[in-house]
Amino acid sequence: MDNLGYLFAAYTIIWIGLAYLVWTAMRKQKANRKEIEILKEKLDEQK
Amino acid sequence: MRTKIALALGGVLMVVALVMVFIVVPTEATMGNIQRIFYFHVPVAWNAFFSFGVTFGFSIAYLKTRNPKYDFIAESSARIGIVFTTLILLTGMIWAKPIWGVWWTWDARLTSSFVMWLVYIAYFIVRSFITEEERRYRFGSIIGILGFLSVPIVAISIQLAPTTHPKAMIFNDGLHGTMLATLLISIFAMFVVYFLFVFLQYDNCKDAYEIAQLKKKLLKESE
Amino acid sequence: MKTFWKAAFAIAKKDILLELRSKEIISSVLLFAVLTLVIFHFAFTADHETMTQIAPGMLWVAFSFSGILSLNRAFIPEKEDNCMEGLLSCPVGREAIYMGKCLGSFIFMLIVEAVVIPVCAMLFNVDVFNPMIIFITLLATVGFVSVGIIFSALSVNTRAREMVLPILFLPIIVPIIICAVSSSSAILAGGTFEDIKQYFLIIVAFDVIFFTVPLMIFKYVVEE
Repeated sequence: MDNLGYLFAAYTIIWIGLAYLVWTAMRKQKANRKEIEILKEKLDEQK
Repeated sequence: MRTKIALALGGVLMVVALVMVFIVVPTEATMGNIQRIFYFHVPVAWNAFFSFGVTFGFSIAYLKTRNPKYDFIAESSARIGIVFTTLILLTGMIWAKPIWGVWWTWDARLTSSFVMWLVYIAYFIVRSFITEEERRYRFGSIIGILGFLSVPIVAISIQLAPTTHPKAMIFNDGLHGTMLATLLISIFAMFVVYFLFVFLQYDNCKDAYEIAQLKKKLLKESE
Repeated sequence: MKTFWKAAFAIAKKDILLELRSKEIISSVLLFAVLTLVIFHFAFTADHETMTQIAPGMLWVAFSFSGILSLNRAFIPEKEDNCMEGLLSCPVGREAIYMGKCLGSFIFMLIVEAVVIPVCAMLFNVDVFNPMIIFITLLATVGFVSVGIIFSALSVNTRAREMVLPILFLPIIVPIIICAVSSSSAILAGGTFEDIKQYFLIIVAFDVIFFTVPLMIFKYVVEE
């Protein structure tokens, strides 16, 4: 009647899933911002 | 700034919800501990539906105004909607195994969630097949509209068969005191997580758009 | 209103004439649909009772797959030689183009069904050639085609043309397939109209929603 293993699995999936999602989005944001800066610098150089 | 607030609030709420679920709330009488999945399963399900609703609304807004920002919101919302739907299916299966004895049955709620999941996976696959930006937004919006309309019809048409899925208890007050409070906190926690992700992903879409524009500019100037 | 129907019929007539001249697509789609039934025979060699239970399902698998095959072709002739631009520059509304394309594909599907249903009835000795089943099939085909046409128009403008239609189309028409199959099975099991009334109503609702909404947003698919 306890099924603690199943319960544990369910909550682990939810937590890891959502944390991973937010983490990747934040990393992507950092990478994008960096790329924008590099591109802007290059554009300025060409001018 | 709004991202940081959402991140902090979301983190705190998720922990509070977890404490409520595992320590405060009493064990349900018939199903035992496994019933505790319910406090996250249900909020995730409601938020999944809410996400696709937002996608539907902003898809219409995009087609009317042609402002790419609306498509960014629609896309971000659908993205977390898929993650929420995946979580509903997984946690539902984990709950079903000890209670029903099988991982999956072709029950009304399960099937309609699964079909909903397939529709939005297709939404992203088709978007990835379109290289031209304006067309990607436009076609994405069309799928966002038609896909959302299909969800209730699938649910109704399967509902004609008998279902074994637990009924929504909250509406005929079978849920009291701490149980209801736990559920509401989880719903709010998921809601904040939803907004956190949409803020982040919206920025990412906007940045990706800007990067594409800058690259085009660079290419033009170097010629 | 009158010009709308005139334009729609003209477009449907054009598509049918084009197909009648070559008969390429209709013959391969029909062959494919019959082949599906043959494959089913080898996949489940079952007794008559089981066959009666699964016959409506087989029919709709055959319709869906052959439908995808033909719907995929619905806009390809327009894409070649820039016919689409010609069509779009006609002084008719986009709604009339959508209506015309739907009519053409509807008639096409009717031909497929007119062949597949009797063939299925003969090969498997089940009574699917039944007025009630035919009525339900016709009604379901309306929604089937109206969803198919808008996604067909969408998919010819993407990179992986043939891949896009099935992944969009199949999940959306799930309700049509559920209702058509369940109600046909109920009729084969000796049910009356009362037994299938709910399925009938859902098919009607699906037809109405998935005809009017694509009619309204079709113009966004074909602009450019």
